[in-house]
Amino acid sequence: MALNRTDIIRLAELSRLALTEDEMSRMEQTIDPILNYVGRLGEVNTDGIPETESFEDARALRVDEAIPASQSTHDEIVANFPDKKDGLLRAPAVFDHPKS
Amino acid sequence: MTMKQASEALANKTVTSVELTQSYLQRIKEKDVEIHAYLEVFESHALEQAKASDERRAGGEVLSEIDGIPLAIKDNMLIEGEHATGGSKILEGYVAPYDATVIQKLKAAGAVFLGRVNMDEFAMGSSTERSAYGITRNPVDLERVPGGSSGGSSAAVAGDLCVAALGSDTGGSIRQPAAFTGIVGLKPSYGTVSRYGLMAMASSLDQIGPMTKTVEDAAMLYQVIRGEDAHDQTTVNTPAFRFEKRTDLKGVRIGIPKQAWGEGMTPGVRQECGAALEKLKELGAEMVEIDLPYMDEALAVYYVLMPCEVSANISRFDGIRYGLRAPGLPLLETYGQSRLQGLGEEVRRRVMLGTYALSRGYYDAYYRKARKVQTLIRRAYTAAFEGVDVIVTPTTPSPAFKIGEKIHDPLAMYLEDIYTVGVNVAGIPAVSVPCGKTDGLPVGLQFIGAQFKDDQLLSIASAFESAS
Repeated sequence: MALNRTDIIRLAELSRLALTEDEMSRMEQTIDPILNYVGRLGEVNTDGIPETESFEDARALRVDEAIPASQSTHDEIVANFPDKKDGLLRAPAVFDHPKS
Repeated sequence: MTMKQASEALANKTVTSVELTQSYLQRIKEKDVEIHAYLEVFESHALEQAKASDERRAGGEVLSEIDGIPLAIKDNMLIEGEHATGGSKILEGYVAPYDATVIQKLKAAGAVFLGRVNMDEFAMGSSTERSAYGITRNPVDLERVPGGSSGGSSAAVAGDLCVAALGSDTGGSIRQPAAFTGIVGLKPSYGTVSRYGLMAMASSLDQIGPMTKTVEDAAMLYQVIRGEDAHDQTTVNTPAFRFEKRTDLKGVRIGIPKQAWGEGMTPGVRQECGAALEKLKELGAEMVEIDLPYMDEALAVYYVLMPCEVSANISRFDGIRYGLRAPGLPLLETYGQSRLQGLGEEVRRRVMLGTYALSRGYYDAYYRKARKVQTLIRRAYTAAFEGVDVIVTPTTPSPAFKIGEKIHDPLAMYLEDIYTVGVNVAGIPAVSVPCGKTDGLPVGLQFIGAQFKDDQLLSIASAFESAS
């Protein structure tokens, strides 16, 4: 299946990626051969074959509880924030024009 | 110097950890200008760790066989207080707030960390040309790549810029660079080494492993880092690890899959690996031709499952909580622009591929189908190991390629993984061991073992090494 420019733009949006014009054409050219290669999976007979299970038993389950971090770990995490105010993470507004 | 030799020299007090560490720091200063294996050398921290090791030893306390031994760490494993970038610009300046489990274990064993070494961005690549911090050169031939994605690790070990290194392997990223630089690289059984603190690429396939000068060293290092971990629910409690250095292979059955020994490899690789099979026979092994179907399909399964997991794992790099953020934009543009400025093209390609394969209308045809074929591949390996102890193939179809040779053809780069990915898809262990040279370039022979029989696999590989 061939991906056209509209598909690439839609995929980039879904992937939360901005693409340059150059990159857009390179993506068009390089993604197709890869999809063609993996397309051979369609020829394998998998009737009655289950999907591989990642987690074979309940080991994958545990109580979801918060583990307190040390002050130094806390400080290191805060130091990694790209933008912060009063020790809190500052993020861009979700809405462009919030109600006043 | 091998790890075993270094360990003995430290035990006999013919060298101190500080002396050993200083000599490696000096070698890095002299040699790494042209190789560029290291992204950062932890000079003062390494010397502090070495001094502490020497003081322990002087006081009669030795933490382990590797106490005081200088190592290089791939830049996707967190060491508390040190920078960690995963080879990506988006994590430039990031400081790790905690230790990865493997690092915790190495610290508890007294290891010295010389520095963090280069890699393809977030481990996506087979040449280390996809690092945001420059390429690494192959110490055997500076015009060629050291393999990837653990190319900084392979170059550091092969160039003797460390005693040993840790790498990570999702589709061949430990074994292929090991083959390209003439060292030993072990991809352990999935679930035997914790991934806590490893930057996730494809979580169901990623595994950390040792990259060393000998098989014995790989066993030593693996023994330190393995084990069940409450922080990684995919780790399992496996039987005790019993490595035995062997010099013969009497009673060992070796499977030779006809699919792997057909077309596709260069004449030089065929010659060296063919000679290796003769050597295995001379050591007393029984060689059995086996049928191992789905080799091409394994690569296809990998290039569906891996990008799907990549697209999910890389979504955390959105410019919000850490790393690079494109400033002054509304939320959606912040994501897009931060990921444009911070992520390289190969990472972005895989994110898009994964997003495509997981999107409505394609999920069944790609992801679900790949998971079913994965079951067939696992069954094929299980069936094969009913009749043989290990399976042997070349590690790569060709020796190290030239810098720039494959960078514009992603599919050609992906085909590098043809002999290695099946092992990740099946969750089993494999080790690449040097087996001669073609035109001066190292060739690797891959030994594949049954699930959780990493010790048996390494024991058999050690016999081959002893005869090389």
